[in-house]
Amino acid sequence: MLSVANLSIEYQNKTVVDGLNLELAQGEIFALLGDSGSGKSSTLRFIAGLDNTKHGKVELDGVRLSDHGQHIIAPESREVGMVFQDYALFPHMNVFKNVSFGINHLTKSDQKRRVNELLSMVDLQGSEDKYPHQLSGGEQQRVSLIRALAPAPKILLMDEPFSSLDKNHRDQLVVQVRHILKKTNTTSILVTHDRDEANTLADKVGKINHKQLTLN
Amino acid sequence: MEKHCFKSKIWISIVALLVAMPIFVVAFSWLLPEHELWAYFSENILSALISSTLILLLGVGVGVTLLGTVLAYLVVMVEFPGRKWLEWALFLPFAIPAYVLAFVYLGVFDYSGYAQVWMREVLGLPGFDIRAGSWAIILTFVLVFYPYVYMMTRASFKRQKVSMIEAGKLLGASPIRVFFKISLPLARPAAAAGLLVTLMETLADFGVVSLFNYDTFTTAIYSAWGDFRSIEVAAQLASLLVLVAFFLIYFEKKARGQAKYYSADVTNKKPYQATGVMGWFITLFVFGVFMLSFAMPMLQLVIWGWSSVADEWSVKYIDLITSTSILTITAALITVALATVLALPGRCKQASNWLKSVIRLATLGYALPGSVMAVGLLYGINQVSLINIHFGGESINHVIYGSIALLLFAYVSRFMAIAYSSIEASAQQIKPVYTQSARLLGASRMRLVWQVYLPMMTPGILAGGLLVAVDVMKELPATYLLRPFGWDTLAIQVYELSAEGLYERAAVPALIMVIFGAMLMGVFQYLDKKSSKTS
Repeated sequence: MLSVANLSIEYQNKTVVDGLNLELAQGEIFALLGDSGSGKSSTLRFIAGLDNTKHGKVELDGVRLSDHGQHIIAPESREVGMVFQDYALFPHMNVFKNVSFGINHLTKSDQKRRVNELLSMVDLQGSEDKYPHQLSGGEQQRVSLIRALAPAPKILLMDEPFSSLDKNHRDQLVVQVRHILKKTNTTSILVTHDRDEANTLADKVGKINHKQLTLN
Repeated sequence: MEKHCFKSKIWISIVALLVAMPIFVVAFSWLLPEHELWAYFSENILSALISSTLILLLGVGVGVTLLGTVLAYLVVMVEFPGRKWLEWALFLPFAIPAYVLAFVYLGVFDYSGYAQVWMREVLGLPGFDIRAGSWAIILTFVLVFYPYVYMMTRASFKRQKVSMIEAGKLLGASPIRVFFKISLPLARPAAAAGLLVTLMETLADFGVVSLFNYDTFTTAIYSAWGDFRSIEVAAQLASLLVLVAFFLIYFEKKARGQAKYYSADVTNKKPYQATGVMGWFITLFVFGVFMLSFAMPMLQLVIWGWSSVADEWSVKYIDLITSTSILTITAALITVALATVLALPGRCKQASNWLKSVIRLATLGYALPGSVMAVGLLYGINQVSLINIHFGGESINHVIYGSIALLLFAYVSRFMAIAYSSIEASAQQIKPVYTQSARLLGASRMRLVWQVYLPMMTPGILAGGLLVAVDVMKELPATYLLRPFGWDTLAIQVYELSAEGLYERAAVPALIMVIFGAMLMGVFQYLDKKSSKTS
């Protein structure tokens, strides 16, 4: 499904990841742990096609997305979803418009059906007209998750999506997100520095330690 | 990506270089000197011009810095009777063009004005010439331009941590010592920024200085072009003015280079309470400034306007309002559209030093007074005509001189910086994650611009458009030099009537302008408040 080979990343002129290899099967959830500045977010951004790097190759379903650290396919054509640390919900769009942003190729009625289905999956029915600033942190996180899931991406990348929530909310959400990812059979990578969160959500956990990825 | 960047570079460069053209043209004038006339100007006029301009800049600079900073400190740090409404009332002079305030003061304090008549006839005091020396013109500029320093230092004081001032108080410092040792040094970059805008506006002014018969670079530029018919000498004088403007920008950048010591939080807590006599004394002072800079001139305008509206009002005013509106709206729309093209976020722009430089060049227009802008354009066209004639063609002067396109070009070039800074500020708030997230959701560049960037930049675009509209409506020197035949504006009407001493009649177009200006500023304030609530 996803294959990352020989990935090297530099951070402030220092190699932080050297020769990372990773293979994920369809529907598998992987959690990537590491200290601040260890290169875990950069790894995710390279897979998404947002940043270039020195070396590395990414293949998704047998299609080469990046090679030699350069991107062959642009982010908008990769069918990769991403949940950002600060959610990145468009502040001028309501929940419906945010969630339907990636499925504008569908008819209006299909968009509506898909958004309603996703909203009910995260218990946010009736919030279509609300704006991001009218939602709580947990609600924003869930909208951000379903926005990324709406186009049914081949892989979902999550960059510390729970870090700005309090512990109670976080524990509940982690369980809920795992349930959704399993239900939709979405291959996912979670970047976090919280081991409990990683263990609860993921099928497989790895840590970047001394520039190398070690699988637990 | 490479191809996309190449296209972006070409488009942005064309827009930016076109807007910046008058700067190049003015600098080019030194290549074709007109020796005799320049010698006359430099021997007889230049030294007097430099000293009178410097005196004006020094007086206005010291005045606005003192008045603007003290007023801002009082409304932010001290609680006194009437503070709340005075804090907003002090912005109102923005709605009055400088030359309107100037003719009101001249009308009241001139030899035949009723203040002097009363002084002579009732008090038996000797009369004085308000145009003698530079104190009256400096005072006029200070009263009309202090809001720039007030606005910027007020924002800076609001972001200073109250705990710092409380620490100063606990260490035994008096309010005055706290002001000079803590608050003022921290607000220095803001004061310098306000001072820069003020000095630029003073340098650029044509209306006030010509009403007061005070010679500066702008009047000399007009004289070189209007009296001596020498576009070359006018352009050379203009280039000296540009040099002074660049020196001021450099000075401001230096002052701004200080570290930022203020926090991001805005506080409404007042560290000082002024009660009793002291409180009322402060109120009297702040209220006095408001009266002199806005309330009294407005009252005078209304009195004059009321008494002369029956004689002055005619169908001509419909034409004046129509031409002012057409010019204002068209110039604001074009400026905002081009500024938006320059300000749109983009990876090509971030990565290219060339693009950053040409955009900076395009926004230098605010350093060019309207007269310089006009002269630059006229000179440029004249040169193109000469080249054309040299190769057997015809002069294009008669087609382009006095055309609306030329006047609009001058407005766009002159006010690009105002629109750009407002739009750029809203573009800066678009975090890279929004772009990344839209791209990962499959959005093309076109969709990104229409559905993400433009809606998020809308407050900045509207605010920029309104500010440009207010400035275009008030603009005098470029309009005066470049307007097409039969395209007089309200500003021109105010200037021409007041230049002939017909102050009562000039009050009619002035009032119309002030009302339109105040309405536009009201919409701006509303948008500003709305966007600060939602962000």
